[in-house]
Amino acid sequence: MAELLVKDAEKWFPREDGRPFKIIDRLSFAAREGCVTVLIGPSGCGKSTLLNSVVGLENLDRGELIFINRGKPEKRPLIGYVFQSPRLLPWKTVGENISLALQGAGVPRSQWQSRVTRYLNLVGLQEYANQFPLYLSGGQRQRVGLARALVIESDIVLMDEPFASVDELTARQLRQTTRRLCEQLHRTVVFVTHNLAEAAYMGDYVVTLTPRPARLDAYVPNPLPSPHHWGADIYKFAAELENKVTLKEDTEI
Amino acid sequence: MNSEPDHAALAAGRQVGVAGAETLPPFQARMARDLAGRFLPPVLAVASVIAIWWSLYLIYPRLLPGPMNTLQEALRLVRDGTFFFHMYQSLRRVFVGAVVAMFFSVGVGIYMGTVAMGERFFQPLVVLGLTIPGLMWALIAVMLFGINEFSPYFAVTVTIFPMLVINIWAGVKSLDKELIDMSHVFHFTKWMKISQVILPQLVPNIFAATRYGLGLAWKVVVVVEMFGTSNGVGYQVMKSYQVFNMEGVIAWTITFVVAMIIIEYGLINFAERRLTAWRPRVEVWRR
Repeated sequence: MAELLVKDAEKWFPREDGRPFKIIDRLSFAAREGCVTVLIGPSGCGKSTLLNSVVGLENLDRGELIFINRGKPEKRPLIGYVFQSPRLLPWKTVGENISLALQGAGVPRSQWQSRVTRYLNLVGLQEYANQFPLYLSGGQRQRVGLARALVIESDIVLMDEPFASVDELTARQLRQTTRRLCEQLHRTVVFVTHNLAEAAYMGDYVVTLTPRPARLDAYVPNPLPSPHHWGADIYKFAAELENKVTLKEDTEI
Repeated sequence: MNSEPDHAALAAGRQVGVAGAETLPPFQARMARDLAGRFLPPVLAVASVIAIWWSLYLIYPRLLPGPMNTLQEALRLVRDGTFFFHMYQSLRRVFVGAVVAMFFSVGVGIYMGTVAMGERFFQPLVVLGLTIPGLMWALIAVMLFGINEFSPYFAVTVTIFPMLVINIWAGVKSLDKELIDMSHVFHFTKWMKISQVILPQLVPNIFAATRYGLGLAWKVVVVVEMFGTSNGVGYQVMKSYQVFNMEGVIAWTITFVVAMIIIEYGLINFAERRLTAWRPRVEVWRR
């Protein structure tokens, strides 16, 4: 397990006319070890950009990403990623897609089979190991994406609006599965969403971000005891969060 | 009128009619319709060509050989083994040249699609290569290397290389960026990225290029064989031409075409189906 500290992060993107605009502005927060930290903010405020910076798909223009890896201090932590769309290789079976993540993480081949079986069991897809992704439903594919992020036994798991593209009933089931696995496996998770109820249900801590450029708006610990149950308490906490979220865009930047 | 289906019968697996809805035709009828839909159009296409040929033969019997005489000549070539020997020689030349061209074009195509400097370097060369006709390469090969096996290999490779590169380069440019990012996040090695993420996305481009490339490779090989070798289909066609044996020319052409069809349907289609088995069948024009 590891902890992630985001310190004074800044990111600029070029406009079409060439002038840069700031998408992340002096953002600092901590994703605590073994907890789910939810980043919530309006669409386009730089949440996904921040996650992409954590895995090296983008580079921050200023600031630091500090990984505190207590178990293996000399190593950069292993990071799993659940994308908004599942991003599975359609020509590989479910089992092969998960095995490729293991191969990339340098896990010995002898462990692949047992790990794939274990994590497919955890997400409830044990019978689908030999199925091609295009024959699965959207929710099932997202479960495979979740299994792939967890199977490498990553120190940190990033989830970028993973349930945004599935219907509400499926999303609710997926949230339950994901929350249960986070509690059971004690992974450090950074979960991005723009859904307040989802943030209230999924998070141990909720980081609310301002509209573009993303700045820290509030850092709110979830008062509800674990395990979380979807119900009135979640909506109550979601309403509290709503009061903390700044909706007005800063047009001066 | 009651439009509710008979749920009990449906549960029992029986075929039931619903008012206003069509019942499925029996299995045999569907099978016959599918088979007819699959095989009838190509059979009709070939039959129409033979019909036109036959009509022309009846009008100009001195100029054109009859389909039956030509068929007999083709059967004779097959029976006495001449066909197999010469077809093997031509096939070998086509495949060696095509495999060498494919090997280099996949590498160059991926390089051009992923490295800007590679694109700038190879693009003018590829465009230049596309403008040179295969016949020129056949002549140059025989003049440079003489009458030996290297000439057809060289001519085929350099003729089809630019069009293979163009196809693969275009495929690389339309690669799914999200999958590439995924492979980066999960620490795929360079070889894993190429073999598991990039090449499978290029399968349609590689097959399109192979079909086109093989068609062109045949033509080039036949030309080289006509004046640069002492065996092969092209050599046999030339030999028949020199004694004005029209039946021989057409018989060799037909056997050659049949071999191409066998390669297309038996080998390329089969390989394509196997490599794209992951893709659900898409029916655009549903009935």
